[in-house]
This record gives sequence, C-alpha cells and structure tokens, in this order.
Amino acid sequence: MTNEAEWIRLAREGNQDAFGRLVVAYQTPVYNLAYRMLGNAAEAEEAAQEAFLRAYTHLRSYDPQRPFRSWLLSIASHHCIDQLRRRRITWLSFEDEIAVPDGSTGLAEVQLASNSPNPEAVVTRREREEQMQQLLAALPPTDRAAITLRYWYDYSYEEIAETLNLTVSAVKSRLYRTRRGLAKMIEGETDDAL
Amino acid sequence: MRCEQAGEMMSARLDDRLDRTEITLLEDHLAGCSACQAEWHRLQALDGLLASAPMVRAPVRLRVQVMARLSRREQARRAIIGSTALALGTVALALLALAPALLGLLDVTGIAPALVIGGPETIVQLLALLGAVGHALLVLAKEFAVPLASLGLCSLMLALALDGLWIGAVRRLRAAH
Repeated sequence: MTNEAEWIRLAREGNQDAFGRLVVAYQTPVYNLAYRMLGNAAEAEEAAQEAFLRAYTHLRSYDPQRPFRSWLLSIASHHCIDQLRRRRITWLSFEDEIAVPDGSTGLAEVQLASNSPNPEAVVTRREREEQMQQLLAALPPTDRAAITLRYWYDYSYEEIAETLNLTVSAVKSRLYRTRRGLAKMIEGETDDAL
Repeated sequence: MRCEQAGEMMSARLDDRLDRTEITLLEDHLAGCSACQAEWHRLQALDGLLASAPMVRAPVRLRVQVMARLSRREQARRAIIGSTALALGTVALALLALAPALLGLLDVTGIAPALVIGGPETIVQLLALLGAVGHALLVLAKEFAVPLASLGLCSLMLALALDGLWIGAVRRLRAAH
C-alpha cells in the first residue's frame, strides 16, 4: 500500500495527522486551482481551506479506485464555481460577445512555483501573469474551470467532463469557444497597444 | 470543410486529439484559407501563453489553517452531539422521575417497599447494574475528550439503566400483589 493510500485510510478513520499529510501533498494543486479560478490570493486561500475541509467531511464517500487528486480537485472546482456564481456578475458567453474585465482583477502578490533569479525576467513573468489573470477573469465560471484543468493540470477531455459533470463533446466545444474568445481578446489588446 | 469545423479542429489539434487524416484535412484547409490561418496563429499564441503559466505555490500557513479549522469544526460537532445526548438524557431522567406517578405505584407502595419485597436478590442486581454503568461511564469519559459529550451520553445511559430497573421493580411488585 502506498503512503497516500495509507494516509487516506487513516484519515477516513478520523486520523487528522494523516489528513494533514494529504493537505501538505496537495496544497499547491488545490491552491493554484483556486487562485486561477478566483484570481485573488486571499479568496484562493479561503477556498483552498474550504475545499480541504469538505474533502475531510466527505472522505467516506471517496472511491479509492479513483485518483484522490481528481476527487479533491473536483471538490475544489465546484466550490470555486459556486463562489464565482455568488459574485452575481453577469458573465458574457463567447458565443455572443467577449466579456472584457474592468481591470480590477484583484491580482495579488503571489509566489510562483518556479525560481526567477533575473529581475527583468521577473517583471516579464509578472506582466504575463497579469495578462493571464485578466483573460481568465473574463470567462464564465465553468469555462474558467475547463481551461484551468486543461492547462495547469493537463486533464484530458474525459477527465474535465467527469470533474465538471459535462459531456466530452461539451468540453470540446467549450474549449474551442473559450480559446477563440481569448485569442480575440489578446488580439484586441495588441491592436490597442499599437 | 467549413471554417467553423476547421476552428473546432484547430482547438482539438492543440490538445492532440486529431488523427493523421484529420491533421491532413486541417492543413489542407489552412493552406487555402487566410482567415483560418490567422485564427490558427492566434490560437497557437494563446496556447503558448497558457501553457507557459506556472503553478502558484500555496502559502506555507495553509496546512496549519486547515488543521485549525478542522479541529474547531470537530469540537463544534462533538458539542452538538453532547448537547443532544444531554437533552435526551435530561428528558429520560425527567420521565424516570415521573414514572412512579404515571404508573400509579406511589399510591400502592413506593420504591422502598419495592426493594424490600424484591429482597437481597434485587439489591445485588442493583449493585451489579450500578457497577456496569460506572464502568461504562469511565470508558466513555476516556473515549470522549469533550466533557459535555461525556456528560450527555452518561446521563442518557444512566437514565436508561434506571428506567430498566424501574420496569423490573414494577413487574416484581405486580407479581407480588
């Protein structure tokens, strides 16, 4: 039995130390997902905590045949989607028009997972990061989750579909629509800069 | 091939979801459609931007915060269980206190005559029962760290045990009369 399987087994029996080990193992994937979804460090931290608490509460319903990471990220995704819907912002679908963010994306000073010794590279990376979060902030919650799972977690269409309770064909068309809309946004920004 | 279909295939191409034949079809369309070529370049640029974005590392305090909230939640849960058990125990004790009146036994004999009628056998049984209840209380007190939960469960058990004793006494009395 792997360490993870043993931690899960102990955590299901109520061993909080074992659950703490699972938190350490998965805190960055869960936090990154929350940050990419919510675009704000403080909210991401709160959402990541809540996702772990929900996972602990529902640990008995976890199927050990399924990867724990997928199960955990599914909980985090749904929680973040709920949080975004509570913001009561009207998201525009890329089928109609591109939702351009107002610039107040709530970007926080975050520590990226890669080292960046060169100050110039740090500035460039920061700018790209801001551009990234502005793009994501324009997306409706489910599209944002689909793009996040595709790019940061290398999820297949099938995995995204299972995580977000969508069909595979819906995932495929969503990714296409979202990419096309985002690409137009980038083009628009480039045109504005000229 | 229509441009809409080509667009979907471009997206699938970025995800390595096309087979060799579909890739050839797409490339043939791109070779003859400047609008789709431009879109393909845009999608590739976007793909590069998204694919190069790093994971954002979780703050080091996250584990401590999760465990602290978990601990608080567990305490609250135990307090609710304890309160419920305490309430049930109190109700059971109240019913126990009212049982003689409800059964009309006080008019007939009362509890002391019941023990007298039962004789030494009843007293031995009573002591054995109290011993068992005491042992159970000790085990519960060790098992549940929250005093309220222990108190609630103990009172419930005590009430149930005494209820059992009452029922036994009543049967003996009725048999004696």
